[in-house]
Amino acid sequence: MLNPHLLCRRTFLANSGLSLGAAAFGSLLARDGRADTTLVGAAGVRGLPHFAAKAKRVIFLCMAGGPSHLETFDYKPMLDEMNGQPMPNSFTAGQPIAQLQGQALKVQGHLTKFQQYGENGQTISDFLPYHAKMADDICIVRSLVTEQINHDPAHTFMNTGTAISGRPSMGAWINYGLGCEAEDLPGFVVLTSVGGRNPQPIASRQWSAGFLPSRFQGVEFQAAGDPVHYVGNPEGVSHAQQRQLVDTIQQLDRHRSGAIEDHETNARLAAYEMAFRMQTSVPELMDMSDETQETMDMYGARPGDGSFASNCLLARRLAERGVRFIHLYHRGWDHHGGLVKYMNTCCSLTDKPTWALIQDLKQRGLLDDTLVVWGGEFGRTPMFQGKGGAGRDHHIKGFSMWLAGGGVKGGISYGATDELGYHAVENVVHVRDLHATMLHLLGIQYDRFNVKFQGLDMRLTGVEHARVVKDILA
Amino acid sequence: MYRIWIISLAVLFFSATAAAEETKVDFNRDIRPILSDKCFHCHGPDANHREAELRLDDESSAKLDRDGYRVIDSETPAASELLARITSTDGDIRMPPADSGKSLTRDEIQLLERWIQEGAAWSRHWAYVTPVRAEPPAVKDRNWPRHWIDNFILARLESEGLAPADPADEVTLVRRLHFDLTGLPPTPETVKQFINSTDPRKYEQLVDELLDDDAFGERLAIYWLDLVRFADTVGYHGDQDQNISPYRDYVLDAFNDNLPFDQFTIEQLAGDLLPDPTVDQRIATGYNRLLQTSHEGGVQPKEYLAIYAADRIRNLSAVWMGATMGCCQCHDHKDDPYSTKDFYSLSAFFADIDEAKHFKVGSNSLPTARPPEIQVHSKRERQRLAELEQRIASLTNKIAAAPSDDLAAELAAIKSEHAALEKRKRKTMVTVAITPRTVRVLPRGNWLDDSGEVVTPAIPAFLGKLPSDSPNRLDLARWLTDAEQGVGLLTARVMANRFWYLCFGAGISRDLGDFGGQGEPPSHPELLDRLAHEFVESGWDTKHMMKTMVMSRTYRLSSQATPTLAERDPENRLFARQSRFRLVAEMIRDNALAVSGLLVRDYGGPSVKPYQPAGYYRHLNFPTRVYHHDTDSRQWRRGVYVHWQRQFLHPMLRAFDAPSREECTAQRTTSNTPLAALTLLNDPTFVEAAQALSQRILAGGGETEDARIDFAFQLCVSRSPDDVETKLIKELIASQPDEAAAWQMVARAMLNLQETNYRY
Repeated sequence: MLNPHLLCRRTFLANSGLSLGAAAFGSLLARDGRADTTLVGAAGVRGLPHFAAKAKRVIFLCMAGGPSHLETFDYKPMLDEMNGQPMPNSFTAGQPIAQLQGQALKVQGHLTKFQQYGENGQTISDFLPYHAKMADDICIVRSLVTEQINHDPAHTFMNTGTAISGRPSMGAWINYGLGCEAEDLPGFVVLTSVGGRNPQPIASRQWSAGFLPSRFQGVEFQAAGDPVHYVGNPEGVSHAQQRQLVDTIQQLDRHRSGAIEDHETNARLAAYEMAFRMQTSVPELMDMSDETQETMDMYGARPGDGSFASNCLLARRLAERGVRFIHLYHRGWDHHGGLVKYMNTCCSLTDKPTWALIQDLKQRGLLDDTLVVWGGEFGRTPMFQGKGGAGRDHHIKGFSMWLAGGGVKGGISYGATDELGYHAVENVVHVRDLHATMLHLLGIQYDRFNVKFQGLDMRLTGVEHARVVKDILA
Repeated sequence: MYRIWIISLAVLFFSATAAAEETKVDFNRDIRPILSDKCFHCHGPDANHREAELRLDDESSAKLDRDGYRVIDSETPAASELLARITSTDGDIRMPPADSGKSLTRDEIQLLERWIQEGAAWSRHWAYVTPVRAEPPAVKDRNWPRHWIDNFILARLESEGLAPADPADEVTLVRRLHFDLTGLPPTPETVKQFINSTDPRKYEQLVDELLDDDAFGERLAIYWLDLVRFADTVGYHGDQDQNISPYRDYVLDAFNDNLPFDQFTIEQLAGDLLPDPTVDQRIATGYNRLLQTSHEGGVQPKEYLAIYAADRIRNLSAVWMGATMGCCQCHDHKDDPYSTKDFYSLSAFFADIDEAKHFKVGSNSLPTARPPEIQVHSKRERQRLAELEQRIASLTNKIAAAPSDDLAAELAAIKSEHAALEKRKRKTMVTVAITPRTVRVLPRGNWLDDSGEVVTPAIPAFLGKLPSDSPNRLDLARWLTDAEQGVGLLTARVMANRFWYLCFGAGISRDLGDFGGQGEPPSHPELLDRLAHEFVESGWDTKHMMKTMVMSRTYRLSSQATPTLAERDPENRLFARQSRFRLVAEMIRDNALAVSGLLVRDYGGPSVKPYQPAGYYRHLNFPTRVYHHDTDSRQWRRGVYVHWQRQFLHPMLRAFDAPSREECTAQRTTSNTPLAALTLLNDPTFVEAAQALSQRILAGGGETEDARIDFAFQLCVSRSPDDVETKLIKELIASQPDEAAAWQMVARAMLNLQETNYRY
């Protein structure tokens, strides 16, 4: 059997006498499109991190569909005052509009109340009572802007920094850069849940490795069936038999390849070893029977139900195991109509588990080096839309997200939109600024983190100028 | 990263032998890559970001007298400002500046110094220079070359003081030819026959046989469909199915019938504009409809038409020009002489394509509607119909002359086949020209900004001008393939490089999708040029090109590196040996099905659906999707026919690096992931194949354990096992509870071996 330490690249290099040059050569081959000979679970790019990291991993809670910033974190008295009146043309002239194209635009006042919470009086809506309890843990950013107004491209933009398909998702970038700490799990895991209005589709492009080697792509874990595709043995095959099989394959491959420094065969052997280990580690991860009832209750998790609550608990379990990027999607936030009803649905499914996740990470000492990000692919219009009761259309010129843990100041707010919550006007944070900040917290200088593709120095933050939002760093 | 390749190439040139030491610095090979990567960003083609009015891509600008000094002074090299700047220790003066994140290595600085000392000769970027038909170089070992390809390869090796690897053994050759030309493994009988034959023409005969096999078109189609991003679904948002499978059949037929590549190009880009287009030529225009589309509620048609226009230019330029024009959507290209205006002018050729209907009629049903669409039979179906009709006519006549029950029964059967086939018409998207949309340059790519200048169809300015005053897609397609008046030889070079890649595992220029300044200069430029000429001279004959390459001695070399080659040329830049690589995803599937005897070799038709994990499509909506795998023989058809769901590509294809086909893929990556291992181990398709293989072994492998193991090896790797292998398999057998389980385990092991899944 293979030495399990083979999975740790440093050990492997030490044992095999390979130089770093040889390892770099492996990744060069990968870039050239032929064989990716670097080992599974490998370390990242040489020279990274650029400086000491505050965060070791990221949990990204994507509220897919686009939650309304005007019913969560962004309170605008003027919005209530102008409720029902025509939206001033000065705001909307020349702006991209999604479903409200060609319709009369009216102001829609807040569909809930706001109060202030925590030491610094963070403004949070009544839809989010558990967020209110953790006001001091989170840094609310109220000045996000993005560039894509439809769901699919907006997710692509949020994840890859561009709407053009085929680029790596941030989870892939970060694993590529920093490598993976987990020995028997993928470094980029995706978990999804549904509940709310008209769940919008979400494409696997969102966790693609793009032009980076495939091993950096996100691996989706399922609540039902095999948690990871093909992780279960074929019917009637025992664990011991499977072990025997993998051993035989490895022995035959090694015998045939003969050559000592055959990087590709070594990489293949390691992949089989990790595959076999995942057959145990993945079910172990998914099995929550070692959690206390208190923990289960805190999240509201029920094993195997595929809920956001269970996914939050799994996120903590993944974080504990060293998974670098954990991406949760909750589909149901596309509130073109029936906003109050569906906010109640979405918030009842996500508010408490999110709080539980933060508390749980905190009590286990994991929040300090885990960056948690919460937000949708965009916000929603200050204008009324009425697809089955009052709602709001897609909005990209100003919306809210929050960050917590991993080197971010808790209990503060940053940035602001105008008096109607339309344009971000103060301390504007573009999606690429969010990316730059995230990378910074992970010890990566965003403009020195390139991969050459199609002749360009590709970056998560793209070619435009980006900024690290220093004011929110702890 | 590519830079390191370049340097290693240069090192190979300059340090290998004393002779190489004297080689002059070559601008395109050695200097342009440095300037392009490190300098062009501010001193290149992009006028909006140019600093100090200096263009290092333009000789006159670099050598201009700037009030007493020149950036490059070829008369007094030491006075060149460039040298002062790149060697200065003063951070304010030194180039490239620190904030660019770029710096020059010592090797690069030395190369630049030597180049300027040698007179700083400029030459046009190699990819825009029309290929020159070079004569094969003389070689010392005159007996070695079988073909002029070998002269080019051997001459380089001789100049480097290197010897080529040994020839590959016959088994390896037979397997290599099968995989490269058909994507399928040889049967044990084929291998045996080849080895036992003493016919000196047996190799060529095998090549001809394989080129003549329908599987050849299937193999080439896998590659072409990646380039043109063929898929069964629309890609964006609801990712609904779309009607397009007849286009795939067209591609298969084009390769199998050896449709000349220039015609293939013209039919896809502009078949609708040909006089009286045939059905096939109209099906071919499905190419223009392969891009990703969306009819998400809230989509702004104007925005999406801009997105579609850009998508088309990214694909056109990548597929036919080996260019990355995508950047020019927002700004002039940083490294290549393509401007934003070129981008939009090129997109104006496609402004007549009727593509806006789906915004209104695109439905959330499966398939969705993306008119214009036509109902068609594939070429083979039409041929069969014609055949049947002829037989019906002749039988009817015969029966009229002499009634017979037998003939009547035969007639009924034929009529019923005819009727069934008649019903199998499929819809397919085609191109229909309408009044062209107005195309403007979009400032910074912003579709909301109408201030840009209106442009009309035009080829990139630096490549000339089309003779017609109002050129259309047909003119564009002809320009791309016209070796005299157009850029046909450039196109031929792009494709010849890709055929080489399919036969050798790497291109002569390694970057198959980017021949621009940031791509990689070819290792054997004269050979590549000669191949481009060969392609044109042969009448754009794809089979001829594949045959030419596989007939060479270079193709038939062993992929095992000698210690010298492994050390001197670890990346095999000189093709002194063949390459070893993993089969592409579809071929991994085909191979397992073939060796287990399950493979169904039906040709063409609608896409098929193999087993897939339940719930895999649960994130799709509009409509929600439940996947129903095929329950008949379609289950075991080749990978090229598998339903291509862009947003959720079949996990097996994905695990083995098949692309989503959202964008052009000229070269797939090859990864080694646990997910791929899990797929080969546990995916029901492979478990089923193992089951079938084990039954095959038990039924046909003889009575003894040794004979059966030998049979399994012959089926999977075309050879007998050695003692160690036999022993390992026997141990596996001994550890299993019963015979059935034992042989299933053996079959699973065989299907998982590296050797089974690699081409050597």
